[in-house]
Amino acid sequence: MQDRLLPYWLLIPAFVIVLATTIYPLAYSFFTSFRAWDLTQSRRPEGFVGLENYVYAASEEQFLNSLWVTFIFVITSVFLTVVLAMALALLLRRKGPMHTFTRIVLILPFAMSPALIGVSYRFMFNPEFGVLAKGLGAVFPALEGVPWLADPQLAMGILVLTDVWHWTPYMTFMCLGGLASIPRETEEAARIDGASNLRIVFGIILPQMKGVIAVMAVLKTIFALKMFDQVVTLTGGGPGTSTETLAYFIFNVGFRWFDMGYASALAWILTAIMMVISIWYVRMLLSEKKMATA
Amino acid sequence: MAEVRLVDIEKKYGNFLAVPQQSLTIEDGEFLVLLGPSGCGKTTTMRMIAGLEDITAGDIMIKGERVNDKPPKDRDIAMVFQNYGLYPHMTVRQNIEYPLKLRGVAKADRRKRAEETAAKVELDALLERRPSELSGGQRQRVALARAIVRTPSIFLMDEPLSNLDAKLRVTMRAELKHLHHELGVTTVYVTHDQMEAMTLANRVAVMREGRIVQLDTPKKIYAEPADLFVAGFIGSPSMNLIDGTVSGGVFRAEGVDVPIDMPDREGVVLGIRPEELEIAPGGAAFTGKLYALELTGDSTLVTLRAGKTSVCARGHADFEADINTDCHLAPKDGARFHLFDRASGERLI
Repeated sequence: MQDRLLPYWLLIPAFVIVLATTIYPLAYSFFTSFRAWDLTQSRRPEGFVGLENYVYAASEEQFLNSLWVTFIFVITSVFLTVVLAMALALLLRRKGPMHTFTRIVLILPFAMSPALIGVSYRFMFNPEFGVLAKGLGAVFPALEGVPWLADPQLAMGILVLTDVWHWTPYMTFMCLGGLASIPRETEEAARIDGASNLRIVFGIILPQMKGVIAVMAVLKTIFALKMFDQVVTLTGGGPGTSTETLAYFIFNVGFRWFDMGYASALAWILTAIMMVISIWYVRMLLSEKKMATA
Repeated sequence: MAEVRLVDIEKKYGNFLAVPQQSLTIEDGEFLVLLGPSGCGKTTTMRMIAGLEDITAGDIMIKGERVNDKPPKDRDIAMVFQNYGLYPHMTVRQNIEYPLKLRGVAKADRRKRAEETAAKVELDALLERRPSELSGGQRQRVALARAIVRTPSIFLMDEPLSNLDAKLRVTMRAELKHLHHELGVTTVYVTHDQMEAMTLANRVAVMREGRIVQLDTPKKIYAEPADLFVAGFIGSPSMNLIDGTVSGGVFRAEGVDVPIDMPDREGVVLGIRPEELEIAPGGAAFTGKLYALELTGDSTLVTLRAGKTSVCARGHADFEADINTDCHLAPKDGARFHLFDRASGERLI
């Protein structure tokens, strides 16, 4: 009897921690999202307002702007990361003398903290003393003194660049895993059949990587939707609100303007978007697994 | 004419010499089998012909033309791989049509040729299926169809039957033989299965450690193995190889006394095939205790042991005896003894 219950007893500490740190805050924020709660006025949620917070979000310009910024950021960063990772993996898949070295170097950007990446890039793109700003100015004189982070488009470009730089290594390893599972014979058969290198990549390798690429894209989308750290440390959402992502906007609403009811509603909108994508992701993983075992 | 000539070809991987300077000519329309154990260099040799491996030295000539620097697609070859090498995202039809598509054949012509080829290998009912929906034998047929649809000058086959079950292998072997007879295309076939080699080949090149140790017809290789390695490798069950000495015109080993016409010599190995031995009443050349009886259906394999000597004979299917009882084996009329030098493996007689 005791043996049968022991696993449950052992699970209790982990369950309590998950309950306290994840389930309870989630449930509480869901409850709060239907309330008016100005943290400067009250320590507890106030009156029930029904869907008011959600309805307000649908017409609020700043929220819609952050939604648009997030959309642009997600599309560009996911696309560039996946394409670059695939290209790098194709270059790195053959075992050469630098095999181990390149893999170690490759993992370094992913090992860095996103906040640190933001700070580093902010310094590197400083027009006065930034190494990248100066370097680019030296190579292309037209870029000398360009206020990289003060221009809305350039700031968004740099934000995307830092994210791509951070995530490409991890995605490259995913691609390398996928490439390793493709039988060498299919590529060799295509070579004998008369396919060029480009045709082998697009006609033989990429179709076989479809599942891996889809999983990568969905996974990267989920992470991009949560983009926060680099926004804080690199652009602060600016100039203006040009790089204010949804996660950063929610943070501002909750912890700068202290409108916790509205912030909770926004957080749940973001959660809903991510849940839809996550369900899609899990389904895709399951169908991949089914295909693999077929 | 699609003759393939390998002239002093060599393959090195770093400091490792996989194939040391070898030469070989494969005649037009010939079915040549490269036979040997794993790691003997047979697949490497084939891949060099295909252009999938660069050669370190020497020349490869196809139809009289040096092709060392030509990519695989320009060598007019087709290859069938051990793991089929089918394109999993394409249907059977698309797989078969792909080499034609890459060579710019018009869609209607492509379709017609793919259907004709599929019919030839009995795949016509499966054209819209994907490889994952096919059995091993069907996949192998798709690989064959993809190879023959282009009517290349040379077929290269890398252990194409090794992933099939024993029964299917026999069926596919016959089909391959028939296909070669029908198409008459020069074929190079790699296998470690000596039965495949014997049944399919016009000539067999037995390889060991990258070298061709014997190149001849299957019949000749079976009857006159060039050395101890070939003698042990060809034949199923393999040739009895018994360590002993020759003195006074008799080969002697524990339980073995066989008259041999050669001067006295130590460190020799006597070889005789199990099918050339028969069970004798007593006082025969091979005497020992019955060690095992294995019924194979049409015959019984009888193994006797005397000390370290072990001799196997193919006996009548009805033969029965108790294990560990005395047993005698004698060579049949016209049986051929082979004698090899133990140290060098070289054939003596």
